[in-house]
Amino acid sequence: MSEEKRIVKSYEEEMQSLNDDLVKMGSLTESQLSDTIQAIVKIDKEAAENIIKNDAQINELRAKIDDQISTVLVKRAPMAIDLRTTISSLKISHDLERIGDLAKSVAKKIEPLPIDLPQELTGSLKRLGELVQKQLNNVLDAYITKSKDKAVDVWRNDEQVDDLTHIAMNEVANFLGKNKKNLELATHLLFVTKNIERAGDHVTNIAESLYYLIEGEYLEGARPKGKEFVKDK
Amino acid sequence: MTNNKVKIKTEKLDVFYGQKQALKNVNLEIFNREVTALIGPSGCGKSTYIRCINRMNDVIETCKISGSIKIDGQEINNKQIDVVRLRERIGMVFQKPNPFPKSIYDNVAYGPQIHGLADHKDKLDQIVQTSLKKSALWEEVKDRLDEPGTSLSGGQQQRLCIARAISVNPEVILMDEPCSALDPIATAKIEELMEELKKTFTIVIVTHSMAQAVRVSQRTGFFHLGNLIEVDTTDKMFKNPNNKMTQDYITGRFG
Repeated sequence: MSEEKRIVKSYEEEMQSLNDDLVKMGSLTESQLSDTIQAIVKIDKEAAENIIKNDAQINELRAKIDDQISTVLVKRAPMAIDLRTTISSLKISHDLERIGDLAKSVAKKIEPLPIDLPQELTGSLKRLGELVQKQLNNVLDAYITKSKDKAVDVWRNDEQVDDLTHIAMNEVANFLGKNKKNLELATHLLFVTKNIERAGDHVTNIAESLYYLIEGEYLEGARPKGKEFVKDK
Repeated sequence: MTNNKVKIKTEKLDVFYGQKQALKNVNLEIFNREVTALIGPSGCGKSTYIRCINRMNDVIETCKISGSIKIDGQEINNKQIDVVRLRERIGMVFQKPNPFPKSIYDNVAYGPQIHGLADHKDKLDQIVQTSLKKSALWEEVKDRLDEPGTSLSGGQQQRLCIARAISVNPEVILMDEPCSALDPIATAKIEELMEELKKTFTIVIVTHSMAQAVRVSQRTGFFHLGNLIEVDTTDKMFKNPNNKMTQDYITGRFG
């Protein structure tokens, strides 16, 4: 990584501001996701409403970052590390926005849920949610420190996300198996589980973009896969 | 591209202007029918390097050159080489268009005439026409071939100089900042032309415009203080160079 400052001060400032906004967007997305996980575990409908409302802030930041990136591209024709930073920032901001959308969509599913959801259901969702949240935290940390190793760790850990998704889905299936009247509720919970898993996939995308930013090469090999969802007998 | 054969092989090239060393142990391979761009800050040695390829430095008395430059395996850096014949094989285009104070026709016909490439007028006419077509100037000048070359616009003059260079059927064309005196449209025409010329010729271009290096070349070499710091495919050099100094230069961090 280059530590020297650019000769053109305004270019330096533009890249710094892009970086700052991306970090800000990351931290906003992280707190949205963590609030969502807490809200689903506690079935906190008031918190859910706030989460739905706050998503607009993430979208605004993404639009601002898009705009900054098109300015840098047209004005500076960035090269080497600057080119990779610009391209990766564009991709990362879009993944962050998607994570925000998924958090919002989980929050929307809280409203119809009863407050006395069986503990094993909330328990497995909590574990999955907390893992994805930790993954997001780690990848943002890797972004700030530009750590290739941390990015690879996050990428590898997606396997655990898949495994916990599998367990959570099984819990939902058991819940439905006990009483067919649970169908509507179970459908909601399947969506919630799947959305949290997809947030995890976007975290993995961020790890890949970050790896490209640092190394100038793409992470090789297929992303590690956990068990696909098959209902345990 | 990597299967391509080496046209010019430079090994351990040192160049001194008096006491000052302008090139230090340069090892560089230029590939056949590719555009190789040479970049680097002013005074880095890139122009000195291309002037070695056609022995232009011979005219500078204080200049001392050691090391090897081989074109198709033949050493050109020795006294036995016929320099006139060498410069027929290695054409050159300069920063400022410099047509002879002659007609458009004579500018192009001059080289073939002195090198004895045309034994009759029809043959010469044909060479002039082909060269002007290859340099994408024919349509603009075919009805005014007897007008002075200097009556053309800057961009046209530069294409005339390219026609003059290719009229003697060279193998290599050296271009020393060929577009720095031209407007963007004239520059675009030259760049478009290079795309076409590289099918027939090996091109080495010195440029201060990194965007131009990216657009026109397949390979790029970065010089600094007489050293060749890094050479690689242009794609690699501008997306992910190996050397930190290259990266600092192309991202505008050079102090």
